[in-house]
Amino acid sequence: MAVICGFGDVGKGCAESLRGQGARVVITEIDPICALQAAMQGYEIRTLEEVLDSGDIFITTTGNRDIITAEHMERMKHQAIVGNFGHFDNEIDIAGLSHIAGIERVNIKPQVDKWVFPDGHAIILLSEGRLLNLGNATGHPSFVMSSSFSNQTIAQIELFTKNDEYEKKVYVLPKHLDEKVARLHLDALGVKLTRLTDEQAAYIGVPVDGPYKSDHYRY
Amino acid sequence: MNPTATLTDTDFKVADLSLAEFGRKEITLAEHEMPGLMAIRREYADAQPLRGARITGSLHMTIQTAVLIETLTALGAEVRWCSCNIFSTQDHAAAAVAVGPDGSPENPRGVPVYAWKGETLEEYWWCTEQVMRWPESEADPTHPAGPNMILDDGGDATLLVHKGTEYEKAGAVPDPAGAESEELAVILSLLQRSLAEDPQRWTKIGQGIKGVSEETTTGVHRLYQMV
Repeated sequence: MAVICGFGDVGKGCAESLRGQGARVVITEIDPICALQAAMQGYEIRTLEEVLDSGDIFITTTGNRDIITAEHMERMKHQAIVGNFGHFDNEIDIAGLSHIAGIERVNIKPQVDKWVFPDGHAIILLSEGRLLNLGNATGHPSFVMSSSFSNQTIAQIELFTKNDEYEKKVYVLPKHLDEKVARLHLDALGVKLTRLTDEQAAYIGVPVDGPYKSDHYRY
Repeated sequence: MNPTATLTDTDFKVADLSLAEFGRKEITLAEHEMPGLMAIRREYADAQPLRGARITGSLHMTIQTAVLIETLTALGAEVRWCSCNIFSTQDHAAAAVAVGPDGSPENPRGVPVYAWKGETLEEYWWCTEQVMRWPESEADPTHPAGPNMILDDGGDATLLVHKGTEYEKAGAVPDPAGAESEELAVILSLLQRSLAEDPQRWTKIGQGIKGVSEETTTGVHRLYQMV
């Protein structure tokens, strides 16, 4: 049984991946909308405390702090695997774990540690609680990163060459540039797009060549 | 390919330059799998829109990131790079970027990279500092000592500039002994040293920066908090 803390963008992908590997996935959530999404996809939603003694794998994906505490880890079953998929290492309380009196850290291999509690039972901690997909593996496929990095490159060009047009604040890349990046990746997948007629474009109020969705649209 | 940054013998730090050939082979495989970046290289090959851009990047130094870095240099940018996580660097990717497509392990001619898998926190922030500081040019004393663009992932590079500027304005850095985390203590120690070396370093670097692009949700969250 795999327990995933958080069902945002990262948790959703993590859940799908683990389910694809045959795991029974349980989600923890604070947001009723994300919890409903998870439930509608057939996941069980529980609190972490309820599943501490039954989970085999615990993954944090929240972007928040103090998700898995030292006390939580102490209550997990022998050799439960604990790891973090969020950006920072504050989701799992490693400092708290290391301060437990009598705890012993045994390094198994790079980025894999067994932490043995005084009673002899242990957990296996990945990448010292840091981003595990790059610590314990080699990250996302090139094709996936191409979309993200194309956005980065276009954002750099935009900010560098049209600096005067932007104020000192946070901007989201305009949708037409997102659509451009997506288009650049379609050929490789053998995708053939359908084209709107002028009448269809007018009916939904968008230009034939995009952008096609309003800014608040969620894909 | 048009790398504009030329390395000195010492202006990079990676685990093992002899891994560069393996890294280059994987970069070549990845280029085929990254059609968006390669299309952007073709589209802007003549226009060179990033000529004059000095980009400091803080983003997992992987094979895929190597293709990003070499896209930026192909568009005319000068680039310096570190990882945004102590464990995320792929050492063969870092070596290949430092060596560059036209260099060799004996004669590295790529982009200054400060990254290796398994950094300590002190090493991590030292690397970030090294890529934020641009080598001064004896030929051109007005050559800026910092980037004019940041490409960030998680906001650490941006945070260092902001914290540095904040403490330079205050004229003092808080005592690292009182920091709430080990990592913050490392940052404060670095900035204490920096303040003693140059009381205006981060202020000047900050003033030279035109913009930041951010890779991840957590970094965007940090940016909204700063605004």
